[in-house]
Amino acid sequence: MAKDVKPTRKNLMAIDDRIDLSERGHGTLEKKRDGLIMEFMDILDKAQDVRGELSDDYEEAQKKINMARAMEGDVAVRGAAAALEEHPEITTEAKNIMGVVVPQIESSRVSKSLDQRGYGVLGTSARIDEAAEAYEDLLESIILAAEVETAMKKMLREIETTKRRVNALEFKLLPELYENKEYIEQKLEEQEREEIFRLKKIKEKKEQEEKQEEQATDEETESDEAVEQATAGGVPGGD
Amino acid sequence: MSAGASNPEYVNARVRARRAALFSDEDYRKLIRMGPSEIARFMEETEYEREINALGTRFSGVDLIEYALNRNLAKHFDDLLDWSKGQTYDLIARYLRKFDVWNVKTIIRGIYTDTPAEEIQTDLIRAGELEDALLDRMVEADEIEDVVEMLDGTIFYDGLVDAYEEYEESGMLVPLENALDREFYENLLEDLGRPQEGPRAMYVEFLEAEIDFRNARNALRLARTGADLDPAEFYIEGGVLFTQSELSRLVNDYDELVSHIADSRRYGDRLSTALNQLREAESLIEFEHALDAALLEYADRLSSIYPVSISAVLSYILAKEREVENIRAIARGREVGLSENEIEDELVIL
Repeated sequence: MAKDVKPTRKNLMAIDDRIDLSERGHGTLEKKRDGLIMEFMDILDKAQDVRGELSDDYEEAQKKINMARAMEGDVAVRGAAAALEEHPEITTEAKNIMGVVVPQIESSRVSKSLDQRGYGVLGTSARIDEAAEAYEDLLESIILAAEVETAMKKMLREIETTKRRVNALEFKLLPELYENKEYIEQKLEEQEREEIFRLKKIKEKKEQEEKQEEQATDEETESDEAVEQATAGGVPGGD
Repeated sequence: MSAGASNPEYVNARVRARRAALFSDEDYRKLIRMGPSEIARFMEETEYEREINALGTRFSGVDLIEYALNRNLAKHFDDLLDWSKGQTYDLIARYLRKFDVWNVKTIIRGIYTDTPAEEIQTDLIRAGELEDALLDRMVEADEIEDVVEMLDGTIFYDGLVDAYEEYEESGMLVPLENALDREFYENLLEDLGRPQEGPRAMYVEFLEAEIDFRNARNALRLARTGADLDPAEFYIEGGVLFTQSELSRLVNDYDELVSHIADSRRYGDRLSTALNQLREAESLIEFEHALDAALLEYADRLSSIYPVSISAVLSYILAKEREVENIRAIARGREVGLSENEIEDELVIL
């Protein structure tokens, strides 16, 4: 990975910025993850309670309907159920828990009074009332369980996502960025050293050339002087 | 209504043979230990044989038992109406109209929920006074209004016409069902007066108990529900336990309501155990159970005081109904996995 990065100062600065951002992001996400886990634990406790209640309500409702079917007869219970006109309704709204949108379910017309269940009151019995009431309670519990368990699942999914992001930052992105930074720094240092060395060489070469030039000049001067001296002493036999 | 002289002696003689054929405690003890299919087989060897065989191809399990029981009950009660004449017929028919109420309710519920006519037919118990042909025509009706019109000339018509307006406004069956029950209960004592002695007095006392117990059940249900309902709407005239104003007052005070029933000279002792339980327990079921037992005991006592009166016939009607309810309770109870003790607790056996 590090080989793909151009070892330039600009890239180094960009990587520094990214490291800074990633570290801040990592910290924030860690806090979010911890916060979500705490919220999740609360919801989990609630969900366990709701599940327990749901299970109890289901057992109770089954017992009541079984008793009603046994004592009043299946036909009577079916008839009473058929008389129901107003069916329960639910509406959902969104609620935000640490950035996670969870549903808030509002129910209406679940629990009914004696005259709202549709069947005549004068000729029916408490067994049917109690079976109807037990099923209304069960339905309330199911709606509550749906709300809590959906919230729990969404929170769990968000915790997983956040955890993956934290881990990706901690074990992948940040190490890579540090590696790239180190690579670029090393490269830049190397380049600097090479530059210094190159400059040194150039300087040496220049100095050498200068020296050679100087030497050559000296030699020329000397030879000129010799010529002059020779010329001034006359050439024997030349006068 | 059947014409001619009253014939309670003849009906009683026929009823005595039928009564002897009712299941004994020993039979119930056997049934409690059986599964639904064994119960059906056991019934095949008793007087339910014809119904079990006739319905065996269409139904199975507990449904077979329940429909066979209903059909057998209808046959027996229909026989009672066939045998009786004059005033005996009138006195029996006014009690058996509870099955007319059942049938009309079943039909209007069926129409209300678009149930196929065949299914509605299956749920009818043809033990009342309404003719089979009329019931068949009502089952085929498309609208509840048509059913109301077909009942013109019966005791239910006026009440249903008024209730139909309410039904049209609210869209709920409650007013129609309440009107049917009210007409039934309030016609139980119609033209009977308040005789002081003799079998007629006992018969009236029994019907008053039936109304009082119904009022007591409904008052307790209303008191428990806590909903803002007008108690006057649920009051049935004819009993001696409550006046309308008493009932309206007592519905708001549960403890006083229970005390009022306990203080009643006629029923206080008979229901004392159930009333004590009622003060403690949340459920009304035990109390209803006690009321059923008390009513059965009442009728049984009446039949032993005047063995050839209409009371003995009434006692048989209650005993037969109770037999059907007990067998159904055992079969359904076994089907849904209730224990033998739980089922035994629910049975009302004299």
